[in-house]
Amino acid sequence: MPGWHAETARLRDEGKLRMVGIVQEQHPDRARLFMQWKELDWPILVDSLNLLDVSLVPITLLIDEDGVIRRTTPPVAEARSAAQELVELPPASDSAAPVRPQKPSLKALRRAAEEGGAEDWRRYAEALILWGGPKRLDSAVEAFEQALRLDPADARAQFRLGVARRMRYDGAAGESDDFGAAVAAWSRALELDANNYIWRRRIQQFGPRLNKPYPFYDWVVRARAEIERRGGVPLALPVEPRGAEIAQPARVFAAADGAAVEPDPEGKIHRDPARYVRVTAAQVPGNVRPGTSTRVHLELRPNPEARAHWNNESGGVVLWIDPPQGWDADRRLIELENPPRAVSDEPRHAELELRSPRQGPAAAQLDVYALYYVCEGVKGACLYRRQDVSVPLSMEVR
Amino acid sequence: MRSRLLAPALLFALGLPAAAAELAEGSRFPDLVLPDARDGRPRSLSEFRGEKVVLHVFASW
Repeated sequence: MPGWHAETARLRDEGKLRMVGIVQEQHPDRARLFMQWKELDWPILVDSLNLLDVSLVPITLLIDEDGVIRRTTPPVAEARSAAQELVELPPASDSAAPVRPQKPSLKALRRAAEEGGAEDWRRYAEALILWGGPKRLDSAVEAFEQALRLDPADARAQFRLGVARRMRYDGAAGESDDFGAAVAAWSRALELDANNYIWRRRIQQFGPRLNKPYPFYDWVVRARAEIERRGGVPLALPVEPRGAEIAQPARVFAAADGAAVEPDPEGKIHRDPARYVRVTAAQVPGNVRPGTSTRVHLELRPNPEARAHWNNESGGVVLWIDPPQGWDADRRLIELENPPRAVSDEPRHAELELRSPRQGPAAAQLDVYALYYVCEGVKGACLYRRQDVSVPLSMEVR
Repeated sequence: MRSRLLAPALLFALGLPAAAAELAEGSRFPDLVLPDARDGRPRSLSEFRGEKVVLHVFASW
């Protein structure tokens, strides 16, 4: 794409050609940072739901004045000549005038859904995601779920429900189970259409290193450095890519070396019966084949009902990982860093990878315990607590 | 990021669809309204009727 940008610069400066982008990205802020990094000055539209229905990227389309596609994805080595050829095509005799795009009417789509079927509910849900803002996310999730009640085999609705749940997870109103539900919805979409590259990449974005085609967002660090070097200020990312999203692919599973020391082997630390902190786990992929790896995502969230919050003045959260018989973990001990504030109540995340045995039962349990400093209420007691969690694991057994 | 994939021409030869059926030579690009990455306002290719356009569908991952 930088090739096309350079090869068409002259034609664009002369006003003979427009460049436009459509990015298959759930986080528009990441697309904006990418544009800032590559100094792309053309309009870019965000297709977070894959409404274009593309099953691969990148695609380059050369389009005439009438909106008709004249050529698809010429090799970048031919960019200059292909662009020149497009420019030299005689204009269509009945060229249409530009049409100003409008947001659809959410009310009208709602009425159509209530009188219609699965596809109408899906369209309504899609419009809520694109145009309804954060306050309508709950309605969007419900509308996708209604579409799926009417047609459970609508793979697009499954994928887009996953996008909606992930969006909600990233926002202020996110629930702990939104992430796991997003992964489950993407998995169902992929079961219905295994050939969809976009959907497969979405699972791989959060999955294990052995199954990563590339490190999805590791470019963010390079982008920021380069922008700063040129004297710019990198655009902020409200949701920072982390863990699986920036992990390097690996060819071999690296099991933990056994050097880590268990922090509380005799179980002396007082237990938190999930009163102060709630722990949620999601496994990506949900069903792991024997002898392959899966990534476990853990979330620790202070319980608002107990008005609990982290105490950051002592140590950070520590997790001890105890894989089941026959399974290996890539880490036994995880130590999280505290933010630079005395107290906070944000959800905290940890990720680890497991390798399943070549033979074994379909169900297993991963035992984890977390040690943390947490306070109750504004001037309440501050405690050091341990919470033991059993994460159910699922293996595909033929 | 990653390197380029198989060219669509090769994919067609393998009997695999390169993209949705609508995005083929000779067909009109769909009238899709999507938010602008910079300010979220509604955008569409229909804004550029009367001009020649090179459209990139890509991923920032």
